[in-house]
Amino acid sequence: MKLLAVLFALLFANAAWNPARADCPLDLGRGTGLVIFSDHYMIAFRPDPLRIEVGEPFALVFNVCTKSGSAGELVVVDAVMPEHKHTMNYRPSIVSKGDGRFRAEGLVFHMAGHWEISIDVRAGEEIERLTHDYYIK
Amino acid sequence: MRRRPLTAALLASVLVAAIVAPAAAQAPPDWSEAEIRLVGRHGPWPPPPARDPSNRISGTPAGIALGEHLFNDVRLSGDELMSCATCHQAGRDWSDGRALGKARADLDRRTPSLWNVGYSHWFGWNGAGDSLWSQSIRPILDPREMGGSRERASRLLREDKQLACGYERAFGAKPDGDDERLLVDAAKALAAFQATLVSPRTRFDDFRDALVAGDREAASRYGLAEQRGLQLFIGAGNCNACHLGPRFTNGEFGDIGIAFFVRPGEVDSGRLGGLAALAASPFNLLGRYNDDASGSSALRTQHVRRLHSNFGEFRVPGLRQVGRSVAYMHNGGLATLEDVVRHYSEVSPDRLHSDGVPLVRSLGLSAGQSTDLVAFLRSLDADPPPHPAPPPLCP
Ligand code: HEC
Ligand code: HEC
Ligand SMILES: [Cu+2]
Repeated sequence: MKLLAVLFALLFANAAWNPARADCPLDLGRGTGLVIFSDHYMIAFRPDPLRIEVGEPFALVFNVCTKSGSAGELVVVDAVMPEHKHTMNYRPSIVSKGDGRFRAEGLVFHMAGHWEISIDVRAGEEIERLTHDYYIK
Repeated sequence: MRRRPLTAALLASVLVAAIVAPAAAQAPPDWSEAEIRLVGRHGPWPPPPARDPSNRISGTPAGIALGEHLFNDVRLSGDELMSCATCHQAGRDWSDGRALGKARADLDRRTPSLWNVGYSHWFGWNGAGDSLWSQSIRPILDPREMGGSRERASRLLREDKQLACGYERAFGAKPDGDDERLLVDAAKALAAFQATLVSPRTRFDDFRDALVAGDREAASRYGLAEQRGLQLFIGAGNCNACHLGPRFTNGEFGDIGIAFFVRPGEVDSGRLGGLAALAASPFNLLGRYNDDASGSSALRTQHVRRLHSNFGEFRVPGLRQVGRSVAYMHNGGLATLEDVVRHYSEVSPDRLHSDGVPLVRSLGLSAGQSTDLVAFLRSLDADPPPHPAPPPLCP
């Protein structure tokens, strides 16, 4: 179900996206990913390993595209539990893989429940924050 | 009790109540799909053997054998009177039967049991160790504990024939590294041994497996009080927010409102001090003694973050064999499981400065609920088989 929704989001995202940026590669190597938008950005990402386990380190792999076609940079990735008002006990590090691809390493969700992932990106001076809600059982 | 004339109807209703009430109390609780999933996450037990990529002799029979001999060897201590086994005794669930550790000096923290220690990722109540082997160096060098040294440990490995032979079998080379490296190798052997200490299966595990398999018959062998206590644990009590997984801990840190004053004017800063000690240690996983070339074992150490809330946080203890302990919490401040449950039932919200939905809040449990919760916690205990003495290293 969930996977289907994600795949659907992927297809839809491709269709709705500015054709000039059709080369924004949303496939993250394993065929599945999450996509989030703003006025300026489209970001595809997926966890590595694909299944996040409570208390186990994981990474997020990203593809950051901008509407203008200029290079987007992933600045900070973080996560909080909004209900409990706490962050992760770890601060992820980010490595650029070139071509708008990034890898954020060192995330750990140490509790089950609702986590809000924040993704700070920029293409120029201004940093914009995109968020994504993740529920882990 | 004063006798009063009762009408027939009243009498009947009293009788019905008398018959129905105990029957209702005895009915096994219903388990929803969601609850069964939550219970399932506390198993299966035992897990696969622990392997530590930062320790090249982890899981090897020769490493484990050497480690067990060192664990019992008083010559690692400065006065040759104390071994690891002095405080971590096989017959006392690998602890010492005391509320607070005691060596040359009184210690400020309780000696934790070593059951299932191989599955942790932070060690010590404050998480100052990031590997089982680095945690095993601390008591050797600490003047308040064994008061040993690099020189003493390396001399022991080089000069004792049995240990030297055990070393060669474990590491595939003679013990001729420098003193510090040999101390680290001794600790890696100690770690290999400790990682084999896995607590036995319990009545809870039988219930968990039966529930997950849908075997009502087998599940019904678990007591009703235990079942109700378990429902509280994963439900209204919210205990599994921190005490999760097969070991009943997320391996991280929390503040549940236990005093952190050691003595007037002196505090145990818990996790905050642990992070400082971790960063300062030459034996942490970012240092030269990590055997893991892939670097993945150092991920947590590399990314761990210092937070204001770390002050007064202590590691979430696992709960297997918990009822067999003589004291609870990092400071041994609570004597019984009943005291622990009373703490969670009555803890003051003022002590738990939480901005959001509090993870720990006074639960206001009834007497019956408290009994149930204790009964559940006790079902996590089982008698381990006797631990045999290790065979000679090189007969
Ligand atoms: C004097 C008593 C004493 C001796 C001797 C002793 N320990 Fe401990 N041990 C303790 C105490 C107290 C703690 C808790 C320390 C803390 O958290 O600050 C502890 C903690 C530990 C831990 C961490 C357990 C966990 O769950 O994180 C390990 C591992 C350990 N000891 C192994 C050893 C080894 C190996 C030796 C011998 C080299 C040893 N200990 C000697 C008292 C002792
Ligand atoms: C916020 C995370 C958290 C929650 C929620 C929580 N605990 Fe704990 N628990 C801890 C921490 C941390 C300690 C150790 C505190 C210390 O030593 O200062 C602990 C200690 C314990 C101990 C003592 C274990 C020992 O070896 O000393 C028991 C038993 C226990 N908790 C049971 C429970 C029960 C039952 C509940 C639910 C009512 C619960 N916990 C909820 C974090 C939590
Ligand atoms: Cu939380």
